Amino acid sequence: MVKGNSSKKSRREAGQGYLFMAPVLIILGIFVIAPILCAIYLSFHKVELLGGTHLEFRGLDNFLKITFDDRAHIALKNTVLYVVIVVPLQTLLALVLAASLNAGMKGQKFFRIVYFLPTLTSSAVLTLIFMWMYNQNGLINHILHMLHLPTYNWIGDPSVALLAIMIMNIWATAPFFMVIYLAALQDIPDSHYEAAELDGATGLQKFWHITVPNLRPVTSFVVIMGLIGTFQLFDQSYIFSGGSGGPNNSTLTVVLLIYQYAFKSLGTMGYATALAFMLAIIILIATLLQRKFSKEESLY
Amino acid sequence: MKLKKYVSTAGLTALLATSLLAGCSHPGESENSSKTVITLSGWGGNPVEKKLLEGVLDDFEKSHPNIDVKFNQISDQYMDVLKTRLIGGTAADVFYLDAFEAPGLIETGAIEPLDKYVTDDFDVDDFEKPMLDAFKDNGKIYGFPKDYSTLALFYNKKMFREAGIGGPPKTWEELERDAKKLTKGNKVYGLGVMPQIERLYYMAESEGGQVITNDRATFAEDRVSRALQPILDMHLKDKTAAQASEVGSGSGGEMFGQGRAAMVMEGNWNIPFMKDTFPQIEYGTAELPTVNGKKGTMSFTVGYAMNAESKHKKASWELIKYLTGKEGMKTWTSKGFALPTRKSVAEELGYDKDPLRGPLVKGAEYATVWQDGPMLPIVMNNFNNQFLSAYLGERPLKKALKDAQKQANKEIKVAE
Repeated sequence: MVKGNSSKKSRREAGQGYLFMAPVLIILGIFVIAPILCAIYLSFHKVELLGGTHLEFRGLDNFLKITFDDRAHIALKNTVLYVVIVVPLQTLLALVLAASLNAGMKGQKFFRIVYFLPTLTSSAVLTLIFMWMYNQNGLINHILHMLHLPTYNWIGDPSVALLAIMIMNIWATAPFFMVIYLAALQDIPDSHYEAAELDGATGLQKFWHITVPNLRPVTSFVVIMGLIGTFQLFDQSYIFSGGSGGPNNSTLTVVLLIYQYAFKSLGTMGYATALAFMLAIIILIATLLQRKFSKEESLY
Repeated sequence: MKLKKYVSTAGLTALLATSLLAGCSHPGESENSSKTVITLSGWGGNPVEKKLLEGVLDDFEKSHPNIDVKFNQISDQYMDVLKTRLIGGTAADVFYLDAFEAPGLIETGAIEPLDKYVTDDFDVDDFEKPMLDAFKDNGKIYGFPKDYSTLALFYNKKMFREAGIGGPPKTWEELERDAKKLTKGNKVYGLGVMPQIERLYYMAESEGGQVITNDRATFAEDRVSRALQPILDMHLKDKTAAQASEVGSGSGGEMFGQGRAAMVMEGNWNIPFMKDTFPQIEYGTAELPTVNGKKGTMSFTVGYAMNAESKHKKASWELIKYLTGKEGMKTWTSKGFALPTRKSVAEELGYDKDPLRGPLVKGAEYATVWQDGPMLPIVMNNFNNQFLSAYLGERPLKKALKDAQKQANKEIKVAE
């Protein structure tokens, strides 16, 4: 009797809990889970959405096509190159910026705001502004010329176009992670630094042996977020190349390729979802690898 | 990342909420139930063109009081937007369709065949045949061309006089010779070139080679590379031709207007452009020089097509019929922004006798229409990517074309 009562009560509580969660569950279900399931389903079909929907079961055909699609390989190569360069640099830059802003300089609040501004700007606007600066006769070439350095056709030359996007993105994303680092820096107990000072540690030693290890969990978070974000590079290269991924496929990223197959060419929606699925798996693997490496060295 | 997601979710929720609210009230819907409202989608064009179209649509509404036309402009990424709307069932009843994109869309069945609506008084035979054929598939007509332009040779009369050349070149050999006389270092080039398949297609096939055969790219053959080699030679060996970006111009027309090229091959759009932007340049037009004694040029055409899922097909046909009919087309092409695809209208407006537009009109009968089946967009991308590298002298043409063909056929396979 007592038992029955309590189970009834717990069920009612559970029911209430779900009721409160219902709005989120419904929204997640409709906008996140259902599309994922739908995409998995579509990736095994040839999908023609125009002129009445035709689905034709193709098994693993779409996934096999990825192996001989050169543009998919180029896109993957570009994306990986982008990740490998951008993630470490933006993490490092974020850490250095945060550390310098935490050093107790005069006017550091002002600089915190200034540094954070790029992150607040819409990436589309940012890209357009940078495209003017990258123009053949633009600001960046002008400065390079003044310094007697070689100038580049940043937008039109396949060998530097991706680099141009990298520079822009590091500049724009680092401040966001800087804020996360800043918060973490406040949490490091002063006693550690004091102890180190008593032992006669220099500023650089303190940074390297106290700040960096203490920030490890945050670094792990920053790197994972960076990985996910950079693997999904789309808007910048879309605007940069006018949607084509050019010049000569040099700014073609995986997500841009997915977009092209899904919306530009006809009847390749199924292939596009297969590509998207592969990208999800790649990001998952990269994240797992990163976690494994960061766990191997324990904090103390 | 997270933040963006939240913002977009919030936006969606707001959108849903407003659409729910909007769904509750339909003020005055029954009021114009006798009037059929149809929508027409197209890209913008310049302000004068837009006004011209509005004028034609006004005329149509006056003569068809029970039909109301709403013009919906898609300014950017026209085909992406159109396809997405067609899938979502929200596309316009009638829309512009570039001949180049037509076969792919026709294949899907999203476009209504128009044969059953056509009556004798519409006079289909009056259309220039190559332009009409561009919208045909299996003998059925899926669109009527609203206008077109061919390419002609624009030449700078002052530069020709200074170089002592009597008139525009008639053959490709004459063009090469004249270009040498007209070139002044890297300041002025004899010929402005667009190294792209859409401008060179007729030339690529001039020796009998085929760019596409049975939906497969087949341009990596000797006959095609031999036919295109002169374009490269003029740039790399003679140094008498260049593309616009090499001299810091945005387009061929601009290059011509700024006096950096003595000749360019452009279409009708260049005439109003020159008038507005470079009125001081004294220029003439001529038919493109013959290649191997044969006349050839490209022709670009856009038509009106009907959405197969339109709810007002009768009214939509009335609109297409009017816009591509003699009266509507005459108004639309009267200002010379585009050339009429109806022979009778062309004759009435006298464009064949116009000193600037005459050569463009003459090209219509032998022009190659820029349309070659559903795989052309893929072929075009790959061809242009690789052809540019050959044009810049990075590698031999033959090898570049081979790579491009291989890649194009792979992509075609992916798409199938």
